[in-house]
Amino acid sequence: MANSGDTVVRTGSGVQVQHGNHIDTIESVDLVFRAQRKLSFSYGLVFFVVTLAIPAMSVWWKTWYAVPVWGGFTANYLFVSLLYYLFLWGLSWTYIRKADALDERLSHMADEIAAATAVAPAGGE
Amino acid sequence: MGNLNVIAIVMVIAVTVFTVGLAIFVRRFTRTTADFYLAGRKVGTIANASAISGDYLSAASFLGVAAAVYASGLDGVWFAAGFAGGFIVVVLFIASALRRFGEYTVADFAYGRFGSDRIRLVTVVMVLLTSLFYMAPQMYGAGTTWTVLVGAGIFGLSPYNTGVLIVSLIIMFYVMVGGMKGTTLNQIFQFWWLWTAMFLVVVFAFTVGKFSYPDALAEVTAENHRDVRMVSVADLTADDGALLATAEGAMSSEAFAAVEAAVEAGDPEATIGILVPATNKLHELRDMFFNEPGHRYNGLDQFSMVLALVLGTAGLPHILNRYYTNPSGAAARRSTFWVLIFIGTFYILAPIAGLAGKLIIDDAWRAGTAPTNAAYVDGLLARSDAIMPTLAQILGGEWLMGAVAAGAFAAMFSTTGGLLIASASAVGHDVYEKYVNANASEARKVFVGKASVLFFALVALGIGIGIPAVGLDKAYPALIAMMVTWAFSLGAGAFVPMLLTGIWWRQTTERGAIAGMIVGGGGSLFFIFMNVLKQLGHLGDSGVLPFLGSLTFPTLFTFPAAVLTIVLVSKIDGQLPKNVDEIWMRIHGTASERHEKELGLDKVGGMFSGGQK
Repeated sequence: MANSGDTVVRTGSGVQVQHGNHIDTIESVDLVFRAQRKLSFSYGLVFFVVTLAIPAMSVWWKTWYAVPVWGGFTANYLFVSLLYYLFLWGLSWTYIRKADALDERLSHMADEIAAATAVAPAGGE
Repeated sequence: MGNLNVIAIVMVIAVTVFTVGLAIFVRRFTRTTADFYLAGRKVGTIANASAISGDYLSAASFLGVAAAVYASGLDGVWFAAGFAGGFIVVVLFIASALRRFGEYTVADFAYGRFGSDRIRLVTVVMVLLTSLFYMAPQMYGAGTTWTVLVGAGIFGLSPYNTGVLIVSLIIMFYVMVGGMKGTTLNQIFQFWWLWTAMFLVVVFAFTVGKFSYPDALAEVTAENHRDVRMVSVADLTADDGALLATAEGAMSSEAFAAVEAAVEAGDPEATIGILVPATNKLHELRDMFFNEPGHRYNGLDQFSMVLALVLGTAGLPHILNRYYTNPSGAAARRSTFWVLIFIGTFYILAPIAGLAGKLIIDDAWRAGTAPTNAAYVDGLLARSDAIMPTLAQILGGEWLMGAVAAGAFAAMFSTTGGLLIASASAVGHDVYEKYVNANASEARKVFVGKASVLFFALVALGIGIGIPAVGLDKAYPALIAMMVTWAFSLGAGAFVPMLLTGIWWRQTTERGAIAGMIVGGGGSLFFIFMNVLKQLGHLGDSGVLPFLGSLTFPTLFTFPAAVLTIVLVSKIDGQLPKNVDEIWMRIHGTASERHEKELGLDKVGGMFSGGQK
């Protein structure tokens, strides 16, 4: 089941996967998963709220969809044709920076947790 | 047959020859299945971002977005924004997890995550259906572009069928020969050709066409938006000539004189183009203006369209497969950021071209200088899909028209190439290697992959030829964009709920995932076919069936239904795989990446280093 090069070890307290000197235990992976989930779903919430707010305002807010703000641009047209991309770029850039930083921080913590909970990889498959 | 665009045809041939030559050059570096399907997992961030962008930008993006803006104003601009926004879902929820899982295909993920052959086969079926839905508009685009560009057939075939045949054969050849490495390099080249062609059209609009974005938008909004309709003289004169009177109010006196002449000629079957004021489907009491929403979509469709576009991207198998070519999960995220930059700039430009065409083509038509290959109704293009080549020819003559025509073919080559790889990997890798001959040699596996490409290219050829035969081209005024939307809807219903829950909810079970795929994918198929039947006139105008057929974008219902199904069935089932801990560690564990980083193995190698011996 594991990737090629993995050493999977079953212990009394669970499973661990070893790559070279690096070990994943279910505790360390759970730590990574929870932190990534919080980050991804927080950004996802912002993305869907903003994205779905556009059609919502197109339906219910006349100033948004019918009043020109720059030449023939309504706020609606300006956002969908230009500003939305700035939002997408900013969101993805900040997310990736945070996700990379999270990966970095968690990798050290994962090694520490693994060191505390791991057993020697005997009888791996 | 219209004017033969010699320079444009030469440029299309040059791009094609380059594409085929690149595939032949790469052939020597493709030896293993990892080379053939995944380019050896050694594609760098910028290269992979360019290739994903080339894979993603199809005829619908290159020809269809500007056309949708030209025809529908703000509602058309949403196609661009939604196509781009879909990659946020990919980067937030799917990219790095899919890469860390480290397989070949979406079906591999389903099998590895849920541990059953049953779900792998269900996924393969959905992959093939989604790919075929996406191939259909590319083939249709090939036939129609050939008709506009060349206008002649070979071996007794119609120009449309000739275009479909030639494009199918070229793509089949270069994908079979080059595999994913050849396809990747071609997609990189093809994306930058597309981007440059779109950029040049917009630059020419600003310089040669004296275009000003805010002023042009104000100018086209000064009067009510108008629609082109092709109607028979009999329809025009029915109901005491009500439609005729409407057209008279919407058209210039010179253009309406031609309509009157057709009516006086007395042939009731004769077809003529008229203009009518557009109606506002969102705010029914308001006039319809170019810069306001409501030309195409009512309130429900506004939300459903946005969801279909942003969720559909994450469900396209040929895009998801590309994430396995990244060297690491972090690289997969960075690739997606660059994809957003590349396609975002492209999608900012495409609506500008659509708006510029509105004024520049009208001016050229009134000055008598508009290209004669396109048909017009009082200064508006009769078929909006012709806007890109027409605008290019007005602004930059045959050279710019040639760049755009070559771009249109490049868009079809790159997307169809990716789809053929996805389809071939579904059959060659997911079925043959797993169930037919697990001990096959590498050479045999690559041979089966190439045979699969051949098979699906022939299927695409049949679909392309079959579209006009069943009358789909007459049932939908903007067929390319519509068919692409079907593929998005199918992907959003079938794959995205399974992927999201499979990655982020540990309690998801195999039965839950299968049930969700069937509800989401099957539901999407049901609504799509109901919509087709309604458009072909088989469902009537009132009752439950026509209502079900009126849903343009089923995602608003199929996506939540699929997620709900997965959650409910998984809760009731409760049968998690016995090795769920290992699976979870494989998706979210980082020991492999930490190890590779320590040894420097996370760096990108060369795509030309793997296979040569």
